[in-house]
Amino acid sequence: MLVDLAGGWNPMLGRLAWSQIPYDNPILAPLFVAVVIGAVLVLGLITYYGKWTYLWKEWLTTVDHKKLGVMYILIGLVMLFRGFIDGLMIRTQQAWAVGPHSSGVFGATHGYLTPFHFGQVYSAHGVIMILLAATPLLVGFMNIIVPIQIGARDMAYPYLNALGLWFTAAAGALIMISLFVGDFAHNGWFGYAPIFELQYSPGVGVDYWIWTMELLALGTTLGGINILATIIKMRAPGMTWGRLPIFVWASLASNVIALTSFPALQVALALVAADRYLGAHFFTAGLGGNLMLYTNLFWIWGHPEVYFVILPAFGMMSEIFPTFSEKPLFGYMTMVLASMAIAGVSWLVWLHHFFTMGAGPYVNSAFSVATMLVGIPTGVKVFNWAFTMYRGRLTFNAAMLWAIGALFLLLVGGLTGMMLAVPAINYMVHNSVFVVAHFHSMLLTIVYAIFASVIYWFPKVFGFKLNEFWAKTMFWLFSAGTALVFVPMYMLGFMGMTRRLDYVFNTAWHPYLLVMEFGIVVYTLSVLAFFALLYVSVRDHASNQVGADAWGTSRSLEWLTHSPVPFYNFAVLPHVNARDEVAWRRDNGIDHVQPDHYEDIHMPNNTGVAIVLGGLTFVLGFALVWRIWWLCAFSLLAIIALVIYRSFKGDPGYIITAAELEQMEKAAMRREARIGKQQHRVGSGVLGEAIAYARSDLPSLASQPGSTGGLDHRS
Amino acid sequence: MQVKWRNNLKNGCRHAALAPILLLSGCAGTPFWIFDPKGLMADTNLFYLLVDVGIMGGIVGLTALLVIWFMWRYQKGKNRGKYDPTWSHSNTIEVVVWGIPIIAVGFLSYFAVTGTFEINPYNPTVITNHLKPVSDPVEVDVIATDWQWLFVYPQYHMAVANDLVLPAHTPVFFRLTSSAVTTTFFIPQLVGMIDVMPGMRTKNALESNHVGEYQGIASDYAGAGTSWMTFKTKIVKSADFREWVRKVQQSPTSMTYASFNDYADPYINVHHKVAYFSSVPDGLFDHVVDEVMKGKTWPIPPMMTENMVAYMQKQNAEHRD
Ligand code: HEM
Ligand SMILES: [Cu+2]
Ligand SMILES: [Cu+2]
Repeated sequence: MLVDLAGGWNPMLGRLAWSQIPYDNPILAPLFVAVVIGAVLVLGLITYYGKWTYLWKEWLTTVDHKKLGVMYILIGLVMLFRGFIDGLMIRTQQAWAVGPHSSGVFGATHGYLTPFHFGQVYSAHGVIMILLAATPLLVGFMNIIVPIQIGARDMAYPYLNALGLWFTAAAGALIMISLFVGDFAHNGWFGYAPIFELQYSPGVGVDYWIWTMELLALGTTLGGINILATIIKMRAPGMTWGRLPIFVWASLASNVIALTSFPALQVALALVAADRYLGAHFFTAGLGGNLMLYTNLFWIWGHPEVYFVILPAFGMMSEIFPTFSEKPLFGYMTMVLASMAIAGVSWLVWLHHFFTMGAGPYVNSAFSVATMLVGIPTGVKVFNWAFTMYRGRLTFNAAMLWAIGALFLLLVGGLTGMMLAVPAINYMVHNSVFVVAHFHSMLLTIVYAIFASVIYWFPKVFGFKLNEFWAKTMFWLFSAGTALVFVPMYMLGFMGMTRRLDYVFNTAWHPYLLVMEFGIVVYTLSVLAFFALLYVSVRDHASNQVGADAWGTSRSLEWLTHSPVPFYNFAVLPHVNARDEVAWRRDNGIDHVQPDHYEDIHMPNNTGVAIVLGGLTFVLGFALVWRIWWLCAFSLLAIIALVIYRSFKGDPGYIITAAELEQMEKAAMRREARIGKQQHRVGSGVLGEAIAYARSDLPSLASQPGSTGGLDHRS
Repeated sequence: MQVKWRNNLKNGCRHAALAPILLLSGCAGTPFWIFDPKGLMADTNLFYLLVDVGIMGGIVGLTALLVIWFMWRYQKGKNRGKYDPTWSHSNTIEVVVWGIPIIAVGFLSYFAVTGTFEINPYNPTVITNHLKPVSDPVEVDVIATDWQWLFVYPQYHMAVANDLVLPAHTPVFFRLTSSAVTTTFFIPQLVGMIDVMPGMRTKNALESNHVGEYQGIASDYAGAGTSWMTFKTKIVKSADFREWVRKVQQSPTSMTYASFNDYADPYINVHHKVAYFSSVPDGLFDHVVDEVMKGKTWPIPPMMTENMVAYMQKQNAEHRD
């Protein structure tokens, strides 16, 4: 041992001991029982219905980008729920533990959470919401939509894609298990130096935090590489940069940020790990450490990260507004420029997270101005959305309502962000609940955009629409909750209430905290409405079937192929003629043109390696947290061996023959005909110069980007 | 002259902004500390807040109205506005939508920079530009521990724990450090936040002309005792201040390097205990910074507040209460 560990260590189990299981905790113990019962029930049901083979073949080993995306979104929704429960616990504690006369239970002097537990709850809330809810939800959507929007059959690296998913899942499992084995970090989602050092956080909580974040960073970086490669290399013939759907541009900008910023986080956390495991002194106060270095390193990732999550949300809004305004996006080029500008400037502003750390006025001024520069492209985007609606024909269905909600929240978040960017204001509200309200406005913008997208793209993936009534009910409940929680929170910020109080010393704040608690109750209703939405929609799915163009006013390429999207996406890769290809085809009356013949296509095989690697990284993370060195060595060696094995084996892929393809296409077209969309079979060359599908007799197409027909990867 | 228009703006804006808030909170004085500054520094902060909200709020508000108007006018089936299915570009509008934010940010940048200098914690020109030779500044060395505040008055060779008393109409200069972890020193109505970090020294300053009692807060999470790491700041008349200094100097307890060592052990100040130390060694502040830089720490026992009630019993039993 290079460091002194409180509480003992043994070679077999590391720091693991019975005392680390909180079986006497009045909240966790019942929860644990419930989780076990639930798990047994689910596993039992799968066995009862004999679904294991289906699950393994169709989902757990899949490399299909749509299924991986759906699983990303499922993980995101589950973690969103867990994070919501954390939020509910935080609000309840703060509504209860107010003033010296408030009661206390479960060992707390006030409220029901001791400082030790309260710190863990909000730290888990932050990590989960940003990295395990928002990020997987957005990555999931990028996974599903980007390849279809650019007319590709899959991601550039399908196996890597699966790997990214299973790393994310492993990280989710690690943070969930910290509930029942040991504890979680109390140092907030971003960590403070030196409180996360062993002297001040002797337990395993910080270690859970480190390895969870490392795994997520790894998964997201791999995902970023994949999406970038896909966008750059896999575009269909005719899909020039100028015709790229705006969501793809947003994904591109976003993943440039991911690829370049996540390594900074990995380094920062690795150095924290060096302090805690090897007795190094990178971020300690004494012995030559520099704790301000941590803060810098973290936010050098942390700020770009917040733009990494908002840019795809902007992209989603830019897809939804035009569809339901029935006209093209206003200022396409400006939108692209603005996305790129945001990505670029997001690198230059990290210091605004710690204006109060005592940098000189020149440094603070520079970062203040840089931060406000971000407001310019962000403002432009809002104006462009407004002018997309201008002279449009607006339908206020559920997807549109959520997108408009996102727009208004963005206005609030932008206004408060511009306030925080001025040091002279920041000094007063930094570390106060005002900041919490600011970034919740922003993150809720993302959540709104995500729910808009769930409704918008659900029919594309599953072939039927979600129920409008429940989607709208959920929207209004959720919005009422948002107003009730965050309006008082902004007000409390102006009253000087600081963040992360597990005991609220000022009783004047109590009424506002109670209103917020009520808001959380309303939020809870919206969660129930979401469950109702899923239930009702699935129950009525037979009557909500849709064809390829689910909304009738859709614009981009994903609406060209069948709904639900076949696993090969496009039987024949489409030829792209315009920016809003589907709208263009509709306007020119060729939206029902089908390819005149099919060719064999090459698809990647499923692989079980990815999920096994995910499992092993989970074991590795767990072993590192508890310092079970033999298990670390074992799992690490197994990972390395498996990676080497897979890279030698490779994947030859398999062929879908033209005949099989034709069969499947016919079935899909029959389905579409049944639900009322007439399909005509017309040849692929149409309208003079324009082409609907690439033809072998047009050699010039080979020079188009990504026109290589089938998939060509040997990953 | 410049100060004058500013003050007019400040007061005008403040009354306009505060009217609804005051209505909400009745006559008992506003609970909105940020809108109710009682010192030069906090006052300046409020000024910049009002400028920023004035400019940005105007733009954001108009944008919101614009969106709402478009939503109303172009709703499908209502035929209020003309539908133009291909319209997606206009150079004029592009110039305007880039122009407005650029001009606003340019304007705000000017204020951001001047404001940063005016309340620069190391040399706040709102205070230092008006230093009157007659009023000698008071110096306070702030040492944050886990989880208490020690205020050392080097000019008077005395220290006070968890209570800050300062004379009105007098500039006060702080030097701040921490013996344990990082936290933030914050008195919402008097001065904005500044981090206090172990092994390091930051500075801040304040000046207040309003006799009264103001809440001080440790505003950065520092571990289990953060929520109770508060202190009262009392701005008193000069005569009262001299009186108070005499009182502290007669306190029976004094602080030495050795007793600081005990004092700095983790302690949750649930009962807001205040302590007076009639004397402190000169250079205690530098001593603490030095020690911490050499690696001294005051570690925290594992899971110390897993059960807060039990922990409080233990803390009481150790007679540290
Ligand atoms: C107009 C654009 C924006 C500006 C000017 C802005 C400005 C700021 C500033 C200055 C802070 C530091 C506050 C402090 O700690 O004192 C901050 C915090 C934060 N912002 Fe923004 N922001 C903007 C957009 C966003 C976006 C798009 C997101 C993405 C979701 C976001 C998420 C956050 C988060 C998560 C924090 C605080 C993290 C923490 O302390 O826990 N912001 N913002
Ligand atoms: Cu939250
Ligand atoms: Cu930031």
